[in-house]
Amino acid sequence: MEDIKKAIIEFAESSKKTKFYFKDLEKAVQKTLPDVKARQIKKAATELINEGKLIYFSTGSTTMYGLKGRGVTEDH
Amino acid sequence: MAFEPREPQKELKYDELRIYTDEELNNYTEEELKNFKIKHDIPDVEELEKGPWPSFVADAKREALHRQKLPEDRMMIARECVEDLLGQLQLSFDDGETHWKHGGIVGVFGYGGGVIGRYSDVPEKYPSIAHFHTMRVNQPASKFYNTDYLRSICDLWEYRGSGLMNMHGSTGDIIFLGTFTEQLEPIFYELTHVLQQDLGGSGSNLRTPSCCVGRARCEWACFDTQDMCYELTHYYQDELHRPAFPYKFKFKFDGCPNCCVASIARADMSFIGTWRDEIRIDQEAVQAYINGEIAPNGGAHAGKDWGKFDIQKEVIDLCPTKCMRMEDGKLVIDNKECTRCMHCINVMPQALRPGTDTGVSILFGAKAPILEGAQMSMLTIPFMKVEPPYDNVKELIEKVWDWWMEEGKNRERLGELIQRYGVPKFLEVIEVPPMPQMVKEPRSNPYIFWKEEDVPGGWQRDIKDYRAKHKR
Ligand code: HEM
Ligand code: HEM
Ligand code: SF4
Ligand code: SF4
Repeated sequence: MEDIKKAIIEFAESSKKTKFYFKDLEKAVQKTLPDVKARQIKKAATELINEGKLIYFSTGSTTMYGLKGRGVTEDH
Repeated sequence: MAFEPREPQKELKYDELRIYTDEELNNYTEEELKNFKIKHDIPDVEELEKGPWPSFVADAKREALHRQKLPEDRMMIARECVEDLLGQLQLSFDDGETHWKHGGIVGVFGYGGGVIGRYSDVPEKYPSIAHFHTMRVNQPASKFYNTDYLRSICDLWEYRGSGLMNMHGSTGDIIFLGTFTEQLEPIFYELTHVLQQDLGGSGSNLRTPSCCVGRARCEWACFDTQDMCYELTHYYQDELHRPAFPYKFKFKFDGCPNCCVASIARADMSFIGTWRDEIRIDQEAVQAYINGEIAPNGGAHAGKDWGKFDIQKEVIDLCPTKCMRMEDGKLVIDNKECTRCMHCINVMPQALRPGTDTGVSILFGAKAPILEGAQMSMLTIPFMKVEPPYDNVKELIEKVWDWWMEEGKNRERLGELIQRYGVPKFLEVIEVPPMPQMVKEPRSNPYIFWKEEDVPGGWQRDIKDYRAKHKR
């Protein structure tokens, strides 16, 4: 679990984008940890949300993930 | 079967929950309303009040007046928010474009759905709607409330939001329209800890499941829509609140093919009650309809004289599969041909009833996308028995989700994925053989292309030999 979380954070910090689809996270994690399944990645992402490291960004129809404090501010 | 809540439920003390008195709620007269002008000039918006239909503009004006007359300290967001909302709508008419900014990092802690962030892009002009976030409240199955509960929920929203709400949105949820970011957590706390009501789904996750009134009131329900909706809502809480799907996903539950929640048109996975034995016929009641002793359609079209009931014209000739006939004064149905359209049952409910060996048909892939046009869901499982805890259904759901999460592109609905890969691939994924019920007619449905291993004995074809005779 910790290594998945680490891979997510590393990707989120190094990516040019500030908002990611779940699929982006999934692909990034599977690049370093090829055997990890989507469900585990989701669990890890949820933990990061609960720890306040990742945040959700929603348009209403689609939801994306972002790194807390990077690029997008709380309100916009 | 009596309802058993998943978690023990507290009894709500409505006297303590209510925020406003009756006087505060009925705080203006119709005379005052007639003379009331909101602070912005909204000529185009007011056009929407004309004509015979109810208008949200008229409703919003009532709310605006109501808020004007409430004491300032009885509302947590600015009293003018409804007036500013109408003002900004007029500005959008003037400019021919929207002034809402979409999206944002608003939500309640730990939830990826249920709150939809909206901000005005002209906040200096309409400061009271600088934030105008929407909240989705998960409606109870079949939308049963008592009035105390409704009053409490309305009070909460008057106090912490704009007071404007939809009962209900097309998703099924109660929609709270418009509040500021700092109100979200208090509302969430109040809803979940006090009123025992959860937020619904939004974004890339399972949307709030919804069901028809079902066995609570309707004798046609072929399965317990409320129970299944409740069970799957609880079982898939993680999918509802923590988005990881490519896009939205909806379940809807209709007890019979009358489809009162329109699951066939609105759900990625539609559950429609059906039966696999025979329509039950009470021949005496059929005669009573023919003799005019019972009003057809439950008396629904009684406002006008349609003449004497004609079973041939109104039922038999309208049967879409032409599987009914009168024989020696008795109504006969060839049940093998019946598509369970419900027409005859709807017209003569006292004479005809669904069979007793009941279950669901499961259909996949409805959507109403803006670009490609609406698509109905496709019959995939003609019949499945459904009993709590619905393990067979859950197993199917998870096969579908696994495939869609793996192969679906960002913002691709299940129906679009099925189109992209073709039906045979989808059937392979859910491990269901092609069946005649899946095909309505050639061409308007996708063909099944057989693979060699599907056909007993296989086949031999030499492509070179073929190409020698048939150029590409
Ligand atoms: C006894 C001989 C034949 C019978 C019974 C027969 C029957 C059929 C039937 C039932 C259909 C489906 C109609 C529909 O779309 O609703 C069909 C389609 C068609 N048939 Fe035949 N057919 C015969 C011979 C032929 C021959 C000799 C040709 C061509 C040389 C032909 C070409 C076609 C074509 C092009 C279609 C349309 C396929 C499509 O829908 O894409 N048929 N035929
Ligand atoms: C007098 C001659 C012909 C008549 C009256 C005729 C009539 C028709 C009709 C009524 C259809 C069904 C259209 C639809 O509902 O989609 C059809 C489809 C078709 N015909 Fe013909 N046809 C003739 C000649 C031909 C010939 C000579 C060919 C091929 C060389 C041909 C190939 C096809 C094909 C491939 C389709 C299927 C199109 C699809 O995929 O829907 N037809 N034809
Ligand atoms: S869908 Fe059928 S069972 Fe459900 S309320 Fe409508 S008529 Fe009754
Ligand atoms: S339910 Fe529809 S298809 Fe079946 S017998 Fe009645 S009218 Fe015909």
